[in-house]
Amino acid sequence: MSVVLYRIDERLIHGQVVMGWGPQLGVDHYVVVDDELATSQWEQDLYRLGLPDNASADFLTVDDARARLTELDADARKTVVLTRTIVAMTALAEGDRLRGREVNLGGLHHSPGRTERVPYVFLGQEEEEGLQALADEGVEVSARDLPGSRAVDLETLLG
Amino acid sequence: MTDVNWTKPAGWMASFFRQFFIQGSWNFRSMLGSGFAYCMIPLLRRRGLSGDALDEAVRSHMGTFNSHPYLVGIALGAVARMEDSGTDAETIEKFKRAIQGSLGGLGDLLIWGAWLPATILLALVLAWAGTPPWVPVGVFLILYNAGHLALRWWAYSQGLEYGKDVGVRIRGAELSRLAERAFSGGGVLLGILAGVFLVSHLVGEGAVVLWAFAGFAAFGLGLKFGHRALRSTTFVLVLVITLIMALGNA
Repeated sequence: MSVVLYRIDERLIHGQVVMGWGPQLGVDHYVVVDDELATSQWEQDLYRLGLPDNASADFLTVDDARARLTELDADARKTVVLTRTIVAMTALAEGDRLRGREVNLGGLHHSPGRTERVPYVFLGQEEEEGLQALADEGVEVSARDLPGSRAVDLETLLG
Repeated sequence: MTDVNWTKPAGWMASFFRQFFIQGSWNFRSMLGSGFAYCMIPLLRRRGLSGDALDEAVRSHMGTFNSHPYLVGIALGAVARMEDSGTDAETIEKFKRAIQGSLGGLGDLLIWGAWLPATILLALVLAWAGTPPWVPVGVFLILYNAGHLALRWWAYSQGLEYGKDVGVRIRGAELSRLAERAFSGGGVLLGILAGVFLVSHLVGEGAVVLWAFAGFAAFGLGLKFGHRALRSTTFVLVLVITLIMALGNA
């Protein structure tokens, strides 16, 4: 049917995604956009372990994914596009590709230099600037871990 | 990777017992990170590490990590095996990062989504069928934990045996099919539950046929559609049935 969710989540394919968003949106395909994982078969095997029986996953480089976004939107499958960094999502969005669409911030976890904004989103200066750059591409960014939780808009996250 | 001469690393049993406490360490900052390190300590000690070297090794396992608590043994076992066979730290980090989401997702599907509701429903069926109270409680505790302990043991053994290759050795799809079957089981039980309840509690003079029919219809629906139901749907159904019962007894 189309891409039903764009999500930035360091854990990529995990419980919140396949149990939370998957059934809610009727997802049957996941596209992970990550240059490193696109060429690492053994890591892909580990990520694919968590897929429900009726869902599939592709691992694409940022360039491949950029070239295939229109195709994915025309596809009969309902797809979730996942990146583990803000940078990768911004690269996808460049050139108005995601203008007017929503990007979901699902999980950026603790690491040195980052501070907590909501329990599942920790941001440092680099991430703050990254999110601003993503918003400048005309994307509506908000944080929400599960379909049932409250969405937190970018202003609140950065404020 | 499976070589015949390989034996389990020293301290593996102590590490297994520590896994029962791992969920107690859950936090938003590292999730199960500190718990993972806690479970690694017996293995690191038995490798002869102490003092600063032990500190450093424990610290290296404290990074953000998450998993379903019953399946964490897959990751712990595999990491223990990889460290034992000299796999580099970067590969181990990548392994932990890649498998964590799957262990969380599969565990949610298998345990919280299927096994727990299915065993509770079975206990409810027994309770509403009129057994003494200790029967459903006992059956639930024994059955649920038999599955729980078997799963923990299986997960840890698989991790220890296959190390980095565990991803291709255990079939995620088979596990999720198992979850679906357990879920269908839950659906069937919900149907039986509705049937048993309707027939045994709401039967009035002359209405026996009607209620028996309703009971069988509920059973059929559970059988047919149980596996498609979402957890929230199941919950609402149980709530509705409970309400009907409360009203019927009032």
